[in-house]
Amino acid sequence: MNSLVIMLLIYFAGAILVYAANKFSAVLRDVIVVLAGLLPVALFFSIPAFEAFQFRIAGFDLFWDLGSLAYIFEALVVVVGAASLVYAISYMKGKKNLGYFYMNFFLSLGSMTGILMSQDLISFFIFWEIMTWSSYFIVVFNGYKTNKIGLTYIFFSALGAYAMLTAIVMINTQTGSTMWNDFFIAFAGMSSHYQLLISILFIFGFGVKAAMMPLHIWAADAYSHSPMAYTATFSGVLSKMGVYGLALVMIKLALVSNHFVFSQVIAWLGAVTAALATIYALIQKDIRKLLAYSSVAQLGYIITGIAVGTAMSFMAGIYLAVLHGLFKAALFMVAGAVEKQAGTTDMHKLRALIRKMPLTFITAMVAIIALAGIPPLGGFVGKWMLYESLIGSNHYFLVIVIFFSSTAAFLYAYRFLYGIFLGQEEEEFAHVKEAPLMMLIPMLFFTVLLIVTGTFPGIILGPVANAMNHGMGFRGVQWEMSVLTNVYGDSIHLSVISTIVVVVFIVFALFLILKGRKGTRYVTTKDIANSGEPVRPEDNYHFALDFYKPFERAMAPLYRFKMSEIYGNISDGLVSFFQFTRRLYSGNGQTYVYYVLLFIVILLVFSNQLINR
Amino acid sequence: MMGDIWMTLLGVLVTTLLAFVTGMFYMGASRKITARVQNRVGPPIYQNFLDLIKLQAKDTAIHHGWMQLLGPAFLMVSAVGSLMFIPVLNKGLFFENFTADGDIIFLLYLMVFGSLGMALGAGQTGNPNSAIGVTRGLTQMVGFEIPWVMAIVALILQYHTTNIAEILEAQHRSGVWSMFANPYAFIAALLAAFGMFRYSPFDIVGAPAELASGPVSENGGKFLGTMMSSHAVFAFVKLVLYVDLFMGGADNLVELVIKTFGLYLIPLTYGMVNPRYRTEQAVRYFYGWPTLFGIIAILYAVFY
Repeated sequence: MNSLVIMLLIYFAGAILVYAANKFSAVLRDVIVVLAGLLPVALFFSIPAFEAFQFRIAGFDLFWDLGSLAYIFEALVVVVGAASLVYAISYMKGKKNLGYFYMNFFLSLGSMTGILMSQDLISFFIFWEIMTWSSYFIVVFNGYKTNKIGLTYIFFSALGAYAMLTAIVMINTQTGSTMWNDFFIAFAGMSSHYQLLISILFIFGFGVKAAMMPLHIWAADAYSHSPMAYTATFSGVLSKMGVYGLALVMIKLALVSNHFVFSQVIAWLGAVTAALATIYALIQKDIRKLLAYSSVAQLGYIITGIAVGTAMSFMAGIYLAVLHGLFKAALFMVAGAVEKQAGTTDMHKLRALIRKMPLTFITAMVAIIALAGIPPLGGFVGKWMLYESLIGSNHYFLVIVIFFSSTAAFLYAYRFLYGIFLGQEEEEFAHVKEAPLMMLIPMLFFTVLLIVTGTFPGIILGPVANAMNHGMGFRGVQWEMSVLTNVYGDSIHLSVISTIVVVVFIVFALFLILKGRKGTRYVTTKDIANSGEPVRPEDNYHFALDFYKPFERAMAPLYRFKMSEIYGNISDGLVSFFQFTRRLYSGNGQTYVYYVLLFIVILLVFSNQLINR
Repeated sequence: MMGDIWMTLLGVLVTTLLAFVTGMFYMGASRKITARVQNRVGPPIYQNFLDLIKLQAKDTAIHHGWMQLLGPAFLMVSAVGSLMFIPVLNKGLFFENFTADGDIIFLLYLMVFGSLGMALGAGQTGNPNSAIGVTRGLTQMVGFEIPWVMAIVALILQYHTTNIAEILEAQHRSGVWSMFANPYAFIAALLAAFGMFRYSPFDIVGAPAELASGPVSENGGKFLGTMMSSHAVFAFVKLVLYVDLFMGGADNLVELVIKTFGLYLIPLTYGMVNPRYRTEQAVRYFYGWPTLFGIIAILYAVFY
């Protein structure tokens, strides 16, 4: 049987089985979760090539095949999906309605697989809808402020989906086909009105999922209020479906080469998204919210990379997309572990967990270093390629905006680590233990992956270059396992960099840690030098409130701009307009008689015009 | 092959030692000059060496956790690591080290590596002033990085390379230092350097007169000694980087010392006659004239 169909079947059958098994036994349910999560991983990486699958249903040809670009995203789906599922077993322990949760989890994994292998627009759209609905059900799973958060999410998703549906109908009327490939070929021959309209509709649809400004306002709340086990997949992978769609539309339709202004607008939207989301991330007090805004910012870089559309920036965009999937999944898992073990994610309450959760701290630190783009970890590779490609393709002011947001990202990166793990210890958290093993395994797995990609980014760049050369229409894209080369021909050897960093670090770490005649002794963080005024046991000098107040003061003009307020104004305006129209229906019979009379009078006044025609 | 490795190691050691000694003397000189301006006698110029020997001889009794112990090692990675990628003298006159990989954008990131690692170490001490200092430092960094990056982008556009050694070569080929070839970039970078060197009015991180605690008081002995040495090496790294990028490098060590010390005096003397900014004032300062010069520098590089 076709291996693509098997993978799809495993996910969808997993969804049904897990829901049924939940009625009988929790152990059986967990076994099914792990099996159905890990089987696709084994299947995906053991099969060298997937064959296409075609059938006909209700008068439409459906055509499934895994393209070379989709292959990269599918790898992300199976790996991050499996890790999140393993993590979920410990994380979700003790919660209710788990059958329902896992069912939707599997449905969204299956639908993402479906999206990636759909070569026709019909199944693409159907899977897209399944993905939206299954993720919506998990967003509202916690039951917290469902009206506001869930509604915003589903409203924007529905808008995006209808935009996409409109585009699909247009394509069908124009080309008479529902295949992606026919559309790509026919696009060049369409009138420029249709070209622009279809691209805008598609980018609107994908931009919602990729949290592109101004369509991003659902993201921060939805990411932070779904269960963290799912958010790892939600922010890490599901948002990448928007990126995948954007990449298809921007590159395959030659929007970059033929519609320069258009691609510039998208690139700048991405950069502005990155800058604004970053400065909002660093004033959050909840770690989940911080990570959610950070996701929006990272997606901004990715969108910019893809929209600029040179070989190197596209490569950087896809590379960052994969890497963001890995480190953001790890970070949301850290947030989940802290939530589970310490009982809160509020940085105003959390204190110094580093000695209680050392492995979680290491995961967080590695993922944060990757996020901040500091060598020698994987994030640096993506940032480097993005900068060099932007400078090389003469986007010099765009690169400044990106650089600003990436420097400001250090601020929230530090805030995240400090707010959870560092600072002054407090009795309240003395009982906190390290996260359970089932949660640590996926976290440490990502840690190792992030360290490896720092020296050998070729693991990801290889498939990306393959996708670009075969299928995306780029020619002669080169890649190497651990050497990066920019457009000017300068190259850096990542193995040299990693070696220097590691060797210097080890030398000085040994120098510092190897004890002299007497060893140092651990004292609590209350025993500090404080200008001669000792910290009393009941005091706590932890610094958490208004952490970046000076930054807020300096950037006050930027903080005034809030997209959610603009939407708020629009919705307020609509509400008052509808309030007004409602007055016409007063419920009083007399009033309706007046309306009828008024109508007859109008008819009489215009009777001449009406009869003469 | 074996000989190569020994030569590389020798190069690393000699370069680091050179940077360390020069940096320590510069710090000593800065103390002396500041003292004279303030009508004091001041410590001898080799005072920092004495301080370092004293610190290394001391035992450390207490610590707050392993991240604190590792903090200064991160600083050293940043200082010694970036030194390896920057040509000290012009091509062929000094150890090459790893200048072939000396990419300027990579270096920008490597240079913040240390402060972030140290910030984690400082955070674990539990001293609130450490974290306050870190937030100030990071905020200030968001300020001065923008004109600094603009200057670098202008240089890249001008010389069509991102390699520092290549930028140096290109200046020699054209016969004009880039501080004259693109003066606006140099001005933007120089104004950014005020924030990078953290002398008054940008000494808001250490804030020596008002915060008598923080990492400096939580770390003693060899930890404080390592912090001080990395500071010395890092000062040298930044100065040599500026000389390489804007002043055509140097042909011998004497020329290098003259150029770097001349450059060093600018933020130092500027700081002597200035009080301290508040953090937001510092950021606004960098988004004023320095950024304007940065924009002009980029436009100049593109259109000229």
